[in-house]
Amino acid sequence: MIIHTTKGNLKNTVFSNFLLLRRLLLNESVLSMKGIHKRFMGVHALKGVDFNLKYGEIHALVGENGAGKSTMMKVLTGIYEKDSGEIQFQGKLFHPHNPTQALTAGIGIIHQELNMMEHLTVAQNIYIGRETMKSGGLFLDDKGQNQRAEALFNRLNMNIDPSETLSRLTVGKQQMVEIAKAVSHDLKVLILDEPTAALTEIEIEELFTIMRNLASKGVAMIYISHRMDEIGRISDRVTVMRDGEYVGTNDTKKVSKEDIINMMVGRIIYEKPKVKSNVSADARVVLEVNNLNAGRLVKDVSFKLHEGEILGFAGLMGAGRTETARALFGADEIQSGTIKVNGKPVKITNPMVAVRHGIGYLSEDRKRYGLATGLSVIENSLMASYDKYETGLFIHAGKIRAITDEYVNKLSIKTPTIDQLLNNLSGGNQQKVVIAKWLINDADILIFDEPTRGIDVGAKSEIYTLMNELAAQGKSIIMISSELPEVLRMSDRIIVMCEGRVTGELDIEGTSQEEVMKYATMRENV
Amino acid sequence: MSEIGSNKSISDRVKEIGMQKFLAPAALVILYIFFGIFGRNFFSFTSLVNILDASYYIGFIAIGVTFVIITGGIDLSVGTVMMAAAIIGGTAYKSWGWPMWLSLIVIMVVATAFGYFNGILVSRLRLPPFIATLGTMMISMGVGSIVSNVRSATYPTRSEADGWFKSIFKYLGDDGLTIPTGFIVLFITAMIAFLILTKTKMGRYIFAVGSNKEAARLSGVDVQKWEMMAYVISGITAGIGAIAFAAVYTTVMPAQGQGFELYAIAGAVIGGTSLSGGVGSVFGTLIGVYIMSTLRVGLPSMDLQAHYQTFFTGVVVIGAVLLDLYRNKRASEVRILNPADIYRNTQTTVINRMKKEISGLSGSEAEEKKKELSSIRTETKSTYIRMKKEDKAEKKRILAAEKAAEKAFQKELKGDLKTL
Repeated sequence: MIIHTTKGNLKNTVFSNFLLLRRLLLNESVLSMKGIHKRFMGVHALKGVDFNLKYGEIHALVGENGAGKSTMMKVLTGIYEKDSGEIQFQGKLFHPHNPTQALTAGIGIIHQELNMMEHLTVAQNIYIGRETMKSGGLFLDDKGQNQRAEALFNRLNMNIDPSETLSRLTVGKQQMVEIAKAVSHDLKVLILDEPTAALTEIEIEELFTIMRNLASKGVAMIYISHRMDEIGRISDRVTVMRDGEYVGTNDTKKVSKEDIINMMVGRIIYEKPKVKSNVSADARVVLEVNNLNAGRLVKDVSFKLHEGEILGFAGLMGAGRTETARALFGADEIQSGTIKVNGKPVKITNPMVAVRHGIGYLSEDRKRYGLATGLSVIENSLMASYDKYETGLFIHAGKIRAITDEYVNKLSIKTPTIDQLLNNLSGGNQQKVVIAKWLINDADILIFDEPTRGIDVGAKSEIYTLMNELAAQGKSIIMISSELPEVLRMSDRIIVMCEGRVTGELDIEGTSQEEVMKYATMRENV
Repeated sequence: MSEIGSNKSISDRVKEIGMQKFLAPAALVILYIFFGIFGRNFFSFTSLVNILDASYYIGFIAIGVTFVIITGGIDLSVGTVMMAAAIIGGTAYKSWGWPMWLSLIVIMVVATAFGYFNGILVSRLRLPPFIATLGTMMISMGVGSIVSNVRSATYPTRSEADGWFKSIFKYLGDDGLTIPTGFIVLFITAMIAFLILTKTKMGRYIFAVGSNKEAARLSGVDVQKWEMMAYVISGITAGIGAIAFAAVYTTVMPAQGQGFELYAIAGAVIGGTSLSGGVGSVFGTLIGVYIMSTLRVGLPSMDLQAHYQTFFTGVVVIGAVLLDLYRNKRASEVRILNPADIYRNTQTTVINRMKKEISGLSGSEAEEKKKELSSIRTETKSTYIRMKKEDKAEKKRILAAEKAAEKAFQKELKGDLKTL
């Protein structure tokens, strides 16, 4: 280890380096979390989780979506308060109430989404709240601050101009700036939440070099990622979480990728997977998508959807499934590619066109994109089809009541009257209203985006039954789901996506969670 | 490959920044010259004085409102706060017989207090700025009328002993010479505002709050305090504006001031301040204000009455914002590379590598390499053009096919409807 120092604080530096060396050699823990519990309204998100972190270690934290990784990190950085449990940081009890407190103590986090001020310059972002001032303390010393940032970048081997406006940098470079900002706080623990999601291969390599460099200086890092190969490349140890519980910790060298995946998905499967497809191979193709490109997360996506088929879309967060659905529905701009509905090419420029071609989309976020919760069942059900029930200038009140009643009965939506406001219905029934909306509009292709998110178990199976019935009636369904058991239970065929690309197309017959997971983590160029 | 699309050449970048910074001033100069050529007697000292006179009070409140808009907020109350302060000060002088200097202080205190009030509503009580300042707009108008008892307030004229403060904004020489000294006051105020905004912590944090409030908060910035300060500054400049108004117009009527805030906001927007926060400059705002007052003075010189000013100001505001939107969209667009572009990019790296090689060589070897290089260059160019053409033709073909299918579908749909 090279020790940079000046005469004045030589003694100090030697001492602190001695301390660091001792810590690294003795494998001392910088942080330990024991029995952490956290509940949100009815959901037990963390069920007594343990976690241990050593000085200078890069520790991967993995688990499926919703396993509780992010909640855990939010507890550690004071964004959430834990319900019970104990955190020891540098040998002392630690209980942060807000992110600033955690940061001053030496725990920093780099969130998945960039959280910076894009109108300010790089250096201004790094030193926000701790500006360099000119002597006198009244005016800012941007020049001096830029030099400080320059020195910081040199130390980290980053090549970034401190005076550049942040929004002009690539996402990768912005990420580097955020890391530099975190490092400039003299952190003991740095949490990186999926930092590589938006980076290119070269940038990832740069990031890893920086991480190793930091580790050699005693900074401990928690690295959250879905990418198995990266975990193997960068981490010393790996901890697996599942359904809010701690599964285990292992030296990365001692476990294989398959071991980790098994630990991640090893839950008891209470939902029986489908064994065989219900659709014959020669069923009519109702939707054909070829080389669809839209934005960053839909790259050359191609697939076919057959009549009466439930086509599962599996993948991890940020795989581009929702983005594909939105592009298909005309909600986001399609940049290239062709879409054929019932064998005819169509140009879907906006949702109106999609609706006209019989496509219905059930958003993953019902409250924001699917429903007007302040309106009644009848108004929501008819939202997409008022055109059909117009006589001259006016809406035909009798007809729309009749049709709504019909579908409320058909889908057994539990509501006292059809004039009830959506706010007062349960999640499952709200979801059924969205389904009714598209059925009334005669949609033949239904895109279900996370159809059972936030719905309790009983209502879930009702939704499943309903989807199976719809498929049996000849409706074609695309089901996007992050819950693997759900995908395996419902789908006739599974499309697996990873980072905007289709990485696998699996027949339900003979596939397994492990196989889906393998394709879901199959990155390009590795 | 990762850098492609984000890597602009330096000249491109200069062009872009240059456009943003110089568009508004250029528009002002062009406008001035335009009226100079087509208007009657526009190139005169009098019309220059008129332009400057017409800018004072709007100019001051526009500077304040710029601070607020940069935080991502809006201040609708600046106009009425200014007039409320002016009429309360005038009442204090005229009806209550307070000395002039104390009345001027009253003006500043009243305006600052309203700014503080707005700040508390927005930053502490979390009211949406639009609603909070809309309320303050009405409250301040009411307060002005209540205090003045709905009577107009008259400030002393120039000839009276207490008329000294008028000379701050307009100096009248003995020989009829008028010097618009208010311009200097406005400029000094702008200079101070500029320094605050770009050289102090306050300014930095105001930008930070407007750019990403949550990120600023997580970085340990006292978001509430600095958001509030923007409204306080807006109040202070409304006070200075009130003094300027009293100096120029002498009589202050009750319940005035509605609509001034819109001119102030328009000035800021024309000057490049973004209503979504995080972007803006004091001098940009001043330019915006001068564009409006040039229109106001210039249009009559072309025999178009002053009310045309409102019309054209509207056009300018919409144009400025549209331009800004277009620019931002262009800047944030994700470019998809087509095969032709990819080909050109790879060829460019090859060419650059060769160039480097050549610089290390000399003599006949270099000559040979140079020849090779130029042949590659011409080939690249022709292939690129050919690929681009093919790409275009392919796109056209697909579009035509899609259109035909869409038409057929429509026809079918109509047929279906009929049979129904």
